[in-house]
Amino acid sequence: MEFFLDRLFDGISNGAIYAALALALVMVYRATGTINFAQGEMALFTTYLAWGLATKNVPVAVCLLVAAVAGFALGAVSERVLVRPIEKRSLLATLIVLLGLFSVLNASDGLIWGKGNQSMPSLFPNTLQSYVKVFGARLYWANIGVWLLVAAVVAVMFALFNKTRLGLQMRATANNRESAALAGIPVGRILMLGWGISAAIGAIAGVLVTPLTPDSLGLGEMFPLLIYASAAALFGGLDSPGGAVLAGLLLGVAEVMLSAYVPAIGGQLQEAIAFVAIVAVLLLRPQGLFGTREVERV
Amino acid sequence: MRRALPLLVRERSAAHRSLQATGIVVLALLAVYASTLNSFRLGQLTVALLYATAIAGLNLATGYTGQLSIGHSAFFGLGAYTTGILVASHNWNPLLTLIPAAVLCFATGLLVGLPSLRIRGINLALVTLALGVAFPELVDRFPSLTGGSIGLNVSVYQLLPPHWTGISIANRFQYYYWLAAGLLAIVLVLCATLTRSRAGLAMKATRDREIAAAAMGVNLAWTKMVVFGLSGAITGAGGSIFAIYLGSLSADASFTLTLSITLITGLVIGGVATTLGPVIGGLAVYFVPYWTENIRQGEASQLIFGVVLIVLMFVMPEGLMGLITRLSRRVLRIQPQPPGRPARRTVNGGPSTVINHQQERNTA
Amino acid sequence: MTLLDVTDLKAGYGQAEVLHGISLTVGEGEIVVILGANGAGKTTTLRAVAGLIGRRGTVRIGGTALRPGVPAEAVAAGLSLVPQGRGTFTRLTVQENLLVGATKRRDKASVARDIDRWYEVFPALSARTRQTAGTLSGGEQQMLAVARSLMSRPSLLLCDEPSLGLAPLVVRSVFDVLREINAEDGTAMLIVEQNAELALDLASRVYLLETGEVVSSGAAADLRHSDSVRRAYLGY
Repeated sequence: MEFFLDRLFDGISNGAIYAALALALVMVYRATGTINFAQGEMALFTTYLAWGLATKNVPVAVCLLVAAVAGFALGAVSERVLVRPIEKRSLLATLIVLLGLFSVLNASDGLIWGKGNQSMPSLFPNTLQSYVKVFGARLYWANIGVWLLVAAVVAVMFALFNKTRLGLQMRATANNRESAALAGIPVGRILMLGWGISAAIGAIAGVLVTPLTPDSLGLGEMFPLLIYASAAALFGGLDSPGGAVLAGLLLGVAEVMLSAYVPAIGGQLQEAIAFVAIVAVLLLRPQGLFGTREVERV
Repeated sequence: MRRALPLLVRERSAAHRSLQATGIVVLALLAVYASTLNSFRLGQLTVALLYATAIAGLNLATGYTGQLSIGHSAFFGLGAYTTGILVASHNWNPLLTLIPAAVLCFATGLLVGLPSLRIRGINLALVTLALGVAFPELVDRFPSLTGGSIGLNVSVYQLLPPHWTGISIANRFQYYYWLAAGLLAIVLVLCATLTRSRAGLAMKATRDREIAAAAMGVNLAWTKMVVFGLSGAITGAGGSIFAIYLGSLSADASFTLTLSITLITGLVIGGVATTLGPVIGGLAVYFVPYWTENIRQGEASQLIFGVVLIVLMFVMPEGLMGLITRLSRRVLRIQPQPPGRPARRTVNGGPSTVINHQQERNTA
Repeated sequence: MTLLDVTDLKAGYGQAEVLHGISLTVGEGEIVVILGANGAGKTTTLRAVAGLIGRRGTVRIGGTALRPGVPAEAVAAGLSLVPQGRGTFTRLTVQENLLVGATKRRDKASVARDIDRWYEVFPALSARTRQTAGTLSGGEQQMLAVARSLMSRPSLLLCDEPSLGLAPLVVRSVFDVLREINAEDGTAMLIVEQNAELALDLASRVYLLETGEVVSSGAAADLRHSDSVRRAYLGY
């Protein structure tokens, strides 16, 4: 029983991170019609930034804040400078530019902070003793902290989207940019805002996930996370934020459970599994669990 | 005043053919000259040409059919490892391994293209991303087969030039070079033929306007799937020769996402949807990092590629080949034949003066 | 009083110039119609005036000159465009569509009153306030689009082919509503239409466009029976 719960708690934590990143991806997709391939690298860059500050003894909470703000800026500027001018060309062109950004960010990480792996200090008490006993299993404070913080972020996002005027403007812009402009909505600023918020969410996710495993801050850290988040976003339906969050949680739990109970699947097959999962979902239900079937008018 | 340029040459006329023949002769001479370089340079050139082959494969899927693939490093690696394993563990003749390598890559490409039956562009790109990330992991997972993260080593003696070539072991780099050059030539001819055929039109239609293409009877799913298969097979063939040349394989070092991005960068530099673009791209992505190696190990080239990719998409999306084509059209233009009129006869039935100057208009 | 004053408008898409110097005016409370065959440049004219595309020439609303290509400025000056094809926010509810139309207004109470009013004018919408707008029929979406555009209380309403794709009965009710709104609120209207007869019935003045130029203009009653309309549409 404890084994199961231990795994479950880890799964929920991972799932929360996938959910946050998937939410960020879906936000950008709805607003701009592209997947921000560079999302993972933006998050990695800001996590490195936070780590750099943490090594100078800045309190981790402040590092998180700085990372979020830096992420926001990075996202907003990317939209304005890279995406907006190129998206009228073609989807392929946009994807390639984002791929370029991916490369630039990843390489910059290596050049600025070195290629070795680092450990990121946690926001929450993170010693071997910082846990609560639940039915015999250990529920670490760090895990609870991740759950609560991600839940808070998701809740704020939902409130923003559904209960505020700004949220309505963002949803309108994502739905039909021209009609939004015709209603007087400042479309450019809304787009930058959307990307900025997305990247900020990614930044928070990065600072939350990295301390969960020692020595995990490295150049390749975000690749698998990006795959999982994309799988979750697709699985939930690329235009359904709720679906993405739910799918992220499910995926996190499923991943941990599978690797715990099916020994043939070692830690390294995870991406392959995500790959297969993506393909399977897309074949069976292209719009994901909660997405809307897109009817394209000619 | 009569303008001398651009010269107009009728497609498929004698003048056109002789221009093409001259081009081929020049390329052949260059290739022969290159084979006289020292072993080190030959090795470099070999890898560059193999990258060019890989990019030519990528070009089919991404350039001509518009399906972005971030996973072509997996095809390259799959071809390489197939050859490596068959030669090292099963003593196959290295050249024969090209066949299973290409077939395996073709099948994998079909599988990857399979989701495109139902999903749109972006989602396919994500599938390829997953492929690119998963491949090195899969290799590491089965060390008994692949040597895992330690790598796979094939003895040089199993990769020697066959006796009939008369090349000694000391000069074996010539052999590898000619293998790479030969493969590239075959691949380029194949791609050129394919893209100029009806199939090629289907590909481009799929890229440009999917719905219209479907409405006109282009079978989208088939097109995407088969193209991905071919694309993978070509890149895999490049990987195969790469294994023969290198002899020592390590997935973590050579066949990661970074390679995928490198290939895409090469594609864009050379020129998307051009026949010769991949050659320029392959040379560029091999030699640029080599020249900038002194700046900072490794990371600098990745940074440069990222910047180049972004800048090119803004400033020169048609790539170097596109630029060259555009500029050369001021000097020489190949005119398509008007339908139903053979190129040989003029109105008077005399010998054709086929190089026209701008003044002579087409008489319909 | 001239509300909209367009002088020497030139606009196009990429290399192709579609409008070669259009001039027109719309007075306060007036209904003006632009007629012309396909490709004449009617839609381009509206889009250029609304700021969706760049243009050369001057566009003045109530005396203030507008910057080209800035839709928000046109909206702030009291203009609202009902685009061709409705431009419905398909993923938002009917209620939310209306709210978006009012997004620039601060007066919550009167926004709510306006919404109630439009529900009265368009009963089909009031039955569907929480329905996703993408599931509405063409006619209902057209009603929604008109209501949405009017939520900003514009002094000038631009309509691009309101009859497109609608059944004749529905078209009639759309035009009836437009007439009613013009009568009650004094909203000026600039309508682009293919359906010449209905448009001439509604409008007080007409401009006839042919390949990017105004070829004739005048009172609707006069043009109704003139040769130029027939020639522009039927070619003889």
